[in-house]
Amino acid sequence: MIKLEDVTKEYPGETIALRNADADIGKGEFVFLIGPSGSGKSTFLRLLNKQELPDTGRIFVAGKDIGKMSRRDVPKLRRNIGAVFQDFKLLSNKTVGENVSFALEVIGRPRHVISTQVPAILELVGLGEMSHKYPHQLSGGEQQRVSIARAFVNRPLILLADEPTGNLDPQTAIGIMRLLDRINKTGTTVLMATHDRGIVDTMRRRVIELADGHIVRDQSRGVYE
Amino acid sequence: MAFRLDYVAKETGRNLVRNPSLTIATVLTVAVSLTLLGAAMLIRVGVAGLNDRFRDDVEFIVWVDPDVTPEHLALIVDTLDSSANISDSRYVAREEVYAEFQQYYRESPTVLELVNPDEVPTYFEVVPIEPDLAVVQALGKEYEKLPGVFKVQYAAEYIKKLNDFTRLASRVMMIAALFSAGASTMLMYNTIRTAMYARRREIEVMRLVGATNWFIRLPFMIEGMIQGAIGAGFSVIAVLLLNRGIGKQLNKNELKLLASFDLNQSDLLSISGWLLLAGAMIGFLSAGIAVTRYLDA
Ligand SMILES: Nc1ncnc2c1ncn2[C@@H]1O[C@H](COP(=O)(O)OP(=O)(O)O)[C@@H](O)[C@H]1O
Ligand SMILES: [Mg+2]
Repeated sequence: MIKLEDVTKEYPGETIALRNADADIGKGEFVFLIGPSGSGKSTFLRLLNKQELPDTGRIFVAGKDIGKMSRRDVPKLRRNIGAVFQDFKLLSNKTVGENVSFALEVIGRPRHVISTQVPAILELVGLGEMSHKYPHQLSGGEQQRVSIARAFVNRPLILLADEPTGNLDPQTAIGIMRLLDRINKTGTTVLMATHDRGIVDTMRRRVIELADGHIVRDQSRGVYE
Repeated sequence: MAFRLDYVAKETGRNLVRNPSLTIATVLTVAVSLTLLGAAMLIRVGVAGLNDRFRDDVEFIVWVDPDVTPEHLALIVDTLDSSANISDSRYVAREEVYAEFQQYYRESPTVLELVNPDEVPTYFEVVPIEPDLAVVQALGKEYEKLPGVFKVQYAAEYIKKLNDFTRLASRVMMIAALFSAGASTMLMYNTIRTAMYARRREIEVMRLVGATNWFIRLPFMIEGMIQGAIGAGFSVIAVLLLNRGIGKQLNKNELKLLASFDLNQSDLLSISGWLLLAGAMIGFLSAGIAVTRYLDA
């Protein structure tokens, strides 16, 4: 589903965020990207939906070399890749329902699709009753559920989560991990960047460890160490 | 690509009311620049009408008193015919002048009602051999002394002066219009950039979930287009008022020769159309540039 071949990413100012990275992630896998702050986890994720472009190497998503993709095809790529962030990126002037509908509206989905899919996904993330609330009326965990609903409502093949539990207390984080696990069980490939030792050690999934831009470990059913 | 009209309408409406003072400033700048452009166009069309009225070969016009005696009229004809300086002259009879008059004021029936067909002055169109202005003027002075001649009008001189003046005025206004169109484009550009900045989080989400650039762009471009068109609407009102003011002035001063500056409806309609189109285009394109530059950055 995702393949990196000798990928290097350097930012202006000579920061090399990813060095000669190779990785092969199959459909339906759940992968933790771990490593200290600044080790290149976010960069790894941003390369996959073309928020960043690599300096060298090739990246394949669903069999396609995304480096050869024209600018016009980038939106199609992104429709297949949901993204969730530590800071949720919810729109404060829209209700929960509107935040989720927005993701479908702006890719031109017809109204009848939106009116059936949005309630269904809110039910799935456990926010069936919250549709008319605004983000500031929700707890952090609930806000992250909204953002997961928005990322998943279009049923993407891949879900990228960049420290989704970074702002949440451990109890709330467990709930979010259960949700991501459920999404993974529907066949969606999940990549999650984190430096939460507890979560990695309990879940026992594949672990790709980064240090200073190098992939230093790639282990199935790994722990944090 | 599936655009949802209700989505575009909703977003555009939100943008327009988000920053009312900037929207108003933009609309006014567009209105001012297009009013200048419209005034320049008014003058151009007026000058064109003026030149139509005086055919090229007519160098001056000898107006005859409406109550001229037949003897005096015969004397004028004789003098013109026998003059070595005149290549051609033509008497324009009362019916013809009145017909011209009717044609000319077809849009203003009230003016026509005031004119008694029997009191319409008649005139000679005179073409001198020597088209030099000084010679023509000397000739004209001579004819002005004849009994029954009410006035001599030097078409060439008159039109030349008027043309020079109006051409200059229209050029100055065109240049001013160009500069202020530049200013409105820049203001529009900034207005749209501000609108995009206010919505940067929404745009970030849109890009993340795979909205196409056109989908992001369109509401902003339509916003620019609406602002431009509203500004143009104000300029159309200003130009119509200006035209009416000129028309009133012309009638009051009986500057009949300038009556071509009182434009008819089809001329006004086409000027209005051009102004609206220009306003919408200024808005649509400057917004398009602003959005494209934002999305490419
Ligand atoms: N947009 C950027 N411009 C310049 N340097 C960046 C940028 N984004 C990240 N970096 C640098 O690249 C390195 C990797 O960053 P990042 O991928 O965010 O790591 P992580 O997510 O593991 O904290 C860091 O040194 C960071 O400072
Ligand atoms: Mg990071």
